Amino acid sequence: MATPSRKMKAFYKQKKNTTGGITKSKSSKLTKPAATDIAQLPHGVSLDLKDDDIEEEEKALREFDMNMAYGPCIGITRLGRWERAQRLGLNPPKEIEKLVKSGKVKLQSLFDGRM
Amino acid sequence: MEIDSQEQLQRKQSTYLSLDENFEIQKEVYRGQQYSQIYFARLHMMRTLLYSLVPNWKSHLPVCTVLELEEGKECIIVGTLYKHMKLKPCILDEYSKERSVAPLIKPHNFMHQDDYLVLEDESGRVKLGGTKLSPSVYVTGVVVALHGKETSAGAFFVEDVLEAGLPPQIERPLKSREDKYVVFVSGLSIGSISSNPLQFQLLVDHITGHLGDEEEQGLAAEIVHLVIVGNSVEISRGLLNGQNLASKDQSRLSEPFKELDILLTQIAASLPLDIMPGSSDPANFTLPQQPLNRCLFPGSATYNTFRSCTNPHCFELDSIRFLGTSGQNIDDLTKYSEAKDKLDFLGRTLRWRHLAPTAPNTLGCYPFTDRDPFLIDSCPDVYFVGNQEKYETRLLKGLEGQLVRLICIPRFCETGVAVVLNMRNLECHALTFGTKIST
Repeated sequence: MATPSRKMKAFYKQKKNTTGGITKSKSSKLTKPAATDIAQLPHGVSLDLKDDDIEEEEKALREFDMNMAYGPCIGITRLGRWERAQRLGLNPPKEIEKLVKSGKVKLQSLFDGRM
Repeated sequence: MEIDSQEQLQRKQSTYLSLDENFEIQKEVYRGQQYSQIYFARLHMMRTLLYSLVPNWKSHLPVCTVLELEEGKECIIVGTLYKHMKLKPCILDEYSKERSVAPLIKPHNFMHQDDYLVLEDESGRVKLGGTKLSPSVYVTGVVVALHGKETSAGAFFVEDVLEAGLPPQIERPLKSREDKYVVFVSGLSIGSISSNPLQFQLLVDHITGHLGDEEEQGLAAEIVHLVIVGNSVEISRGLLNGQNLASKDQSRLSEPFKELDILLTQIAASLPLDIMPGSSDPANFTLPQQPLNRCLFPGSATYNTFRSCTNPHCFELDSIRFLGTSGQNIDDLTKYSEAKDKLDFLGRTLRWRHLAPTAPNTLGCYPFTDRDPFLIDSCPDVYFVGNQEKYETRLLKGLEGQLVRLICIPRFCETGVAVVLNMRNLECHALTFGTKIST
């Protein structure tokens, strides 16, 4: 994803120079960080998920969400997903069930409302 | 009614058990889920099954996932097939700028010689090569086990294929039984121009025992059940344009149902009947189709012999298991794969242990989250499909002694053919009604 957008920037560099009237050396320095910013935009979502202040419980639950073995996590509650895994004989961790049933944590998966 | 015979004919009875629970979606709540869930459930269930079959098939080979493939290493992989089809219509094509380059589509299906298969599991996907696995036979959504090795080009060279095979069958009680008949009829299409009210009336009179001499009435008395396999009415498209209907048009809309109800009332008064929805009926579009609302049948719904069922429909009569659909699953297979005849498609779906493998890819389907209702766990004794061009039937034998009667039921409005099955020996014959006077 990063390379095409960088190429795009390189391609449009000329035009920007003429309209903006910035010197060549300066522009190349300017465009590079801009390009990387754009490239990282899709990851911006993950940035705000990487909060350090989330509790241990939420961390465990997010790990459960991200575990592909238990199937897709979008469009299904955490408990629903745990129960499905249990029914299919995948032995999901018992702690997750306890956590979700305690009612103190988010009932929807990590990606709920973000997709 | 005047009774001129010595003894009165008594209609035979059979015990009925509905197994439609699996196809009901009342308990489901839509939470924005996508179809990945149903594929996950399908792959998991089928893979567990295939893993259990692999030791008997090729026990010396290692089983691995797509990600663990190594070049030249012989192994077995299990996954869902995806068929890449050049001619498959895609909604995005309508927005494509190069529209003119699309090749011409054959009139009957979307097959092309360049089609190829891809196998995928949670870890990845791999293109399949080799002549053992023919893309024309398989469709997207089938789960199989493959024996082969990765080539230097990164494709997987298939040497052998393992399908799940016919599901285990519950043995039928072997006691000698009397003749009992079940009648299947589909595609009545009341309300269409090709529908002939006299033809249907003849069918009704025949099965209710109002036609023929004592011998024929005796046969009619042995009919224990009628199944109406979809497409009972046809509502003209012109009426359904999304605009408010004039009161005159409203009556035109309900006319076919009134006519159907009158005839079903005559049947329900004398024997049990099941009615399944089909693609032209006013039920939901996606499979599994839910039962037609009883308020559409004010006359016949008052009888307890009248049952409105799901499509697909599964039931047991005297512990003989019936499974069938109104034809959407097989029609979709004919669009995306090839076979010698329609019965081959029926056999394949049984061997794949899946009623509708192309759902949800090209066939509408409810996005289930925790199960795949179309998996066939137990082999039926009779497997029927409605709304086909012609009547075909065959007995399919499985490797473990399973015996299945496959039936393609033709559209009644076009052919005048209903299908009669003898429950004693699973033999089948067509019942043809002609109303033309031959000169």
